[in-house]
Amino acid sequence: MTRNHPTLLEVAVIATAFKLLLLPAYKSTDFEVHRNWLAITHSLPVKEWYYEKTSEWTLDYPPFFAAFEWAMSQVAVYFDKDMLRVANLGYDSFNTVLFQRLSVILTELVLVYALNKYVQTSPTTQRKPAYAAALAILLSPGFLIIDHIHFQYNGFMYGLLLLSIVYMRDPSTYLRGGILFAVLLCFKHIYLYLAPAYFVFLLRAYCLGPNFQIQFGNAIKLGTSIITVFGIAFGPFAYWGQIPQVLSRLFPFSRGLTHAYWAPNVWAIYSFLDRFLIMVAPKLGLHVDASAVNSVTRGLVGDSAFAVLPNVTPRVTFVLTLAFQMMFLIKPFLYPTFDNFLASLTLCGYGSFLFGWHVHEKAILLVLIPFSLLALKDRRYLAAFRPLAVAGHVSLFPLLFTAAEFPIKTVYTIFYLLTFLTAFELLTPPSSTPRTFVFDRFAQMYWLISVPLIAYTSLFHGIIWGKRFEFLPLMFTSAYAALGVVGSAVGLGYVEGLGLKKQVEEEREKVE
Amino acid sequence: MVTTRSRSRTPAPTVTTTTPAPVRPRTPSRKPRKKRTARSVSFSLPALPFPLASVLHPLRSSSAQWLLLPVLLSVGFLFRWAVGLGPYSGFQSPPMHGDFEAQRHWMEITTRLPMKEWYFHDLEWWGLDYPPLTAYHSWLCGKIGSLINPAWFDLYTSRKSDDPMLKLFMRATAIASEYVTYVPGLIFFVRIYGKQNERSKYDQGIALAALLMQPGLMIIDHGHFQYNAVMLGFTVLAICNFITDHLFWGSFFFVLSLGFKQMGLYYAPAVFAYLLGLCVFPRIDLQRFILLGLTVVATFAALIAPLYFFGGGLDGLLQCLIRVFPFNRGLWEDKVANFWCASNVVVKLRETYSTTTLQRLSLAATLAAIAPPCTILFLYPRRRILPLGLSACAWGFFLFSFQVHEKSVLIPLMPLTLLLAGGLDRDTVSWVSFFNTLAMFSMYPLLRRDGLVLQYLVTTGLWAYLTGFWNLPTDALGKLVQIGGYLGMVGLHVAELAVGPVARFPDLWVVGNVLLSFGVFAWAYLWTVWGLVKEVQKEQKKKSQ
Repeated sequence: MTRNHPTLLEVAVIATAFKLLLLPAYKSTDFEVHRNWLAITHSLPVKEWYYEKTSEWTLDYPPFFAAFEWAMSQVAVYFDKDMLRVANLGYDSFNTVLFQRLSVILTELVLVYALNKYVQTSPTTQRKPAYAAALAILLSPGFLIIDHIHFQYNGFMYGLLLLSIVYMRDPSTYLRGGILFAVLLCFKHIYLYLAPAYFVFLLRAYCLGPNFQIQFGNAIKLGTSIITVFGIAFGPFAYWGQIPQVLSRLFPFSRGLTHAYWAPNVWAIYSFLDRFLIMVAPKLGLHVDASAVNSVTRGLVGDSAFAVLPNVTPRVTFVLTLAFQMMFLIKPFLYPTFDNFLASLTLCGYGSFLFGWHVHEKAILLVLIPFSLLALKDRRYLAAFRPLAVAGHVSLFPLLFTAAEFPIKTVYTIFYLLTFLTAFELLTPPSSTPRTFVFDRFAQMYWLISVPLIAYTSLFHGIIWGKRFEFLPLMFTSAYAALGVVGSAVGLGYVEGLGLKKQVEEEREKVE
Repeated sequence: MVTTRSRSRTPAPTVTTTTPAPVRPRTPSRKPRKKRTARSVSFSLPALPFPLASVLHPLRSSSAQWLLLPVLLSVGFLFRWAVGLGPYSGFQSPPMHGDFEAQRHWMEITTRLPMKEWYFHDLEWWGLDYPPLTAYHSWLCGKIGSLINPAWFDLYTSRKSDDPMLKLFMRATAIASEYVTYVPGLIFFVRIYGKQNERSKYDQGIALAALLMQPGLMIIDHGHFQYNAVMLGFTVLAICNFITDHLFWGSFFFVLSLGFKQMGLYYAPAVFAYLLGLCVFPRIDLQRFILLGLTVVATFAALIAPLYFFGGGLDGLLQCLIRVFPFNRGLWEDKVANFWCASNVVVKLRETYSTTTLQRLSLAATLAAIAPPCTILFLYPRRRILPLGLSACAWGFFLFSFQVHEKSVLIPLMPLTLLLAGGLDRDTVSWVSFFNTLAMFSMYPLLRRDGLVLQYLVTTGLWAYLTGFWNLPTDALGKLVQIGGYLGMVGLHVAELAVGPVARFPDLWVVGNVLLSFGVFAWAYLWTVWGLVKEVQKEQKKKSQ
């Protein structure tokens, strides 16, 4: 039995040391959000959790996350009682920071555990690539930037997700995987975006037999356990008749289409195009909506109005998302293998990220994490992964805008991309089919553009324009990253589509 | 004679056949060589059982080797910057603030005042008391900083500034200064010394990583805030030149080191002994001696020339000298883990003897302590033992000299840690790990005052972990010393945490720290001297065979 060097534990220790040093670093309002939730869950009866609104950062995660905050608050008492008072807005004593940062670091151990399990369950020939992918996820700048500086609990959440993904490897643990995913949904509902992939895969692989005959036993087991999970989470609130209130907290559709220009998705390109059309509209004779042009926020906060292009409604985004996802659910439905499941999971993430309503830039992790597991399959996947790795991480940069964190986010990301893209390159086998991939050149060009872009947005813009046009760097970053994410999605979709075609053809040949 | 002259003019390392210097063995010992070949055969497992070796394991293959340097440099940078997010000495602590304010203040006076006043200006408020190169460095940093925000260095009004952007700027200058002096020095040293000792690229990488992650320098320069790395960097560059027989360049860099911070003098006797040895053995080379002397004098002259011409002539120089060597201060200021402070627990030295007596005593003790390493270096000026010799000499100074700061422990530690480049055998790694960890412990009272406890715990813990502190040395006595040291350190921390300040003995924990650290440092001195002796014995054995 050969040991991998370094072990996950060794890397985790070093990473943890670094994260501990980031304790005094910048923290976003999310820090206060979570402190407030600690206070709410600690000091109020469950009945009032979803009604409390002293702070503007009301509880808007599902019940399990609230329970998780409550559990943590039991320990928080020993650090600093004052953080647990609801009215103590914006409180951040050293012990509060220490406790909250430590809670992120410790709960991230779930991720380490899941990754270790992922490596252990990989076939022996795949151990090394699986291990590289595990390290890549563990050290992801995404977690560093979002969790350990900006402040959230994604390490924990994605740990649960990965664990449930690992369970999908082996038919004997499908049920466990499904239950765990249901639990995860009750922690954070953003994972609903990935639910179609789980639904289709479990339906086909667990509830239906090889020839599509219904497996009643399995279907009942899965159904009852998932209902039980949701029952435990939402049951009490249903009993108190609070479900509409809970749902209104969880799904605030009153927010805008784009979240501050940042999420690099289709709507970022759309906004970019709209701004561009404002300039050329008079020449083309297009109608320009004057109120949208003068909109002070220009999409920076909440609603973004389009001046030339038609406005987008939540319904449109919903339909587009689902349509995109449906396309890629065919393959796992016909051939329910683990790899096909992973690919459909990744593409579901893509669908929601690219077309979703009010998408956060942080949601890129929905794509990055499953794709990291897939990227080492062969060179074609890696070619599609590369622009995403660059774009996905660069798009997180605007989250940290303080000078002290600038060197950390840039140097760390460059170090990460350099190390892992090289490692992936070395470990990825060439593809079985000849490479006809058009994105190869695109991917290389793409990576080079990021350098002048970062230099402009973080340095030259300020020198040239000062405080004016503050939305410009954000829009450039966003449009640039959107290009990479879209390119990468098209790349993966293309490879997957091609794979499906090939598989179907092979099948037909076999029949003939 | 002709060949000698030509060699003296162009000191190239390649001319080993005609060099009057003793022929140095390329293979110093047989043991590490055997180990290495064994390792290069087996590719699956590294032979070294500490995490740092394990972490760098994927980078040992030739296809990934190019990544080693970028990865180490960026990780080194990230940790330094992250440590720098914490507070610095004297952060918002009136009335005097601390070293950060001193360094900032020097940028203020060097950029805003004519050179004449540099060493005279308001000496009560952090008057400039470092040699001229520091002043020039401050001037450069101050000029750059003034481009960004002149208010940071405005005369008088900028004092005590705690502008967060100023902090970032100062942190950036500390890292940049380290990355243009110390870090290149380390890279060269690890390559040269590693090659001379037949270490693989992988081993060299491990040594470089360890040197970059050395916690003491990291936390003092980037947490507490100083520019020690520049002085140490010039010394490393000097060593690099000495061990490649570029003696004149070496002397040049060593003088730069002294010209940046007088603490470099801790190394000076050893360097002198080594160079003198090279001028005397195997035959006396007067020409080389004179040329070396001229190099030193010329470099010094170049360093102080601006001060002489623009800074008020001889008076300016004299003032600089008085400021740099404050002989009128006491035997020590803060509690330091040296002989005087430790023995003060038993005998109240400062009350019993006059300052002059103590100064003489201290001088005699220091001379006695540095005599063995310097004698060995003089008699056996071998490249391989140079780091060990420098370390032993610096330990002698640290333990017995006058006016020692707790931070000065960085000076003997640096060449001691350099030993990793020469071999990663269990004993070397174990002792280097131990001494560095305990040195951090000895600086704990200072770091706690600075509010750097978190950074102290993290960097020390990480260092101990990476270097595998649990791999105790092979001999029983060594095991005992290390276990005692680690237990003492943890015990004192735990006891202080559990008991808190004791009213009857307010200094109890600090005194405990001093006593334990002194014991360890005294052992470190003996360990380095013993290492030198062993090297000499090895050579004599070889000669007799």
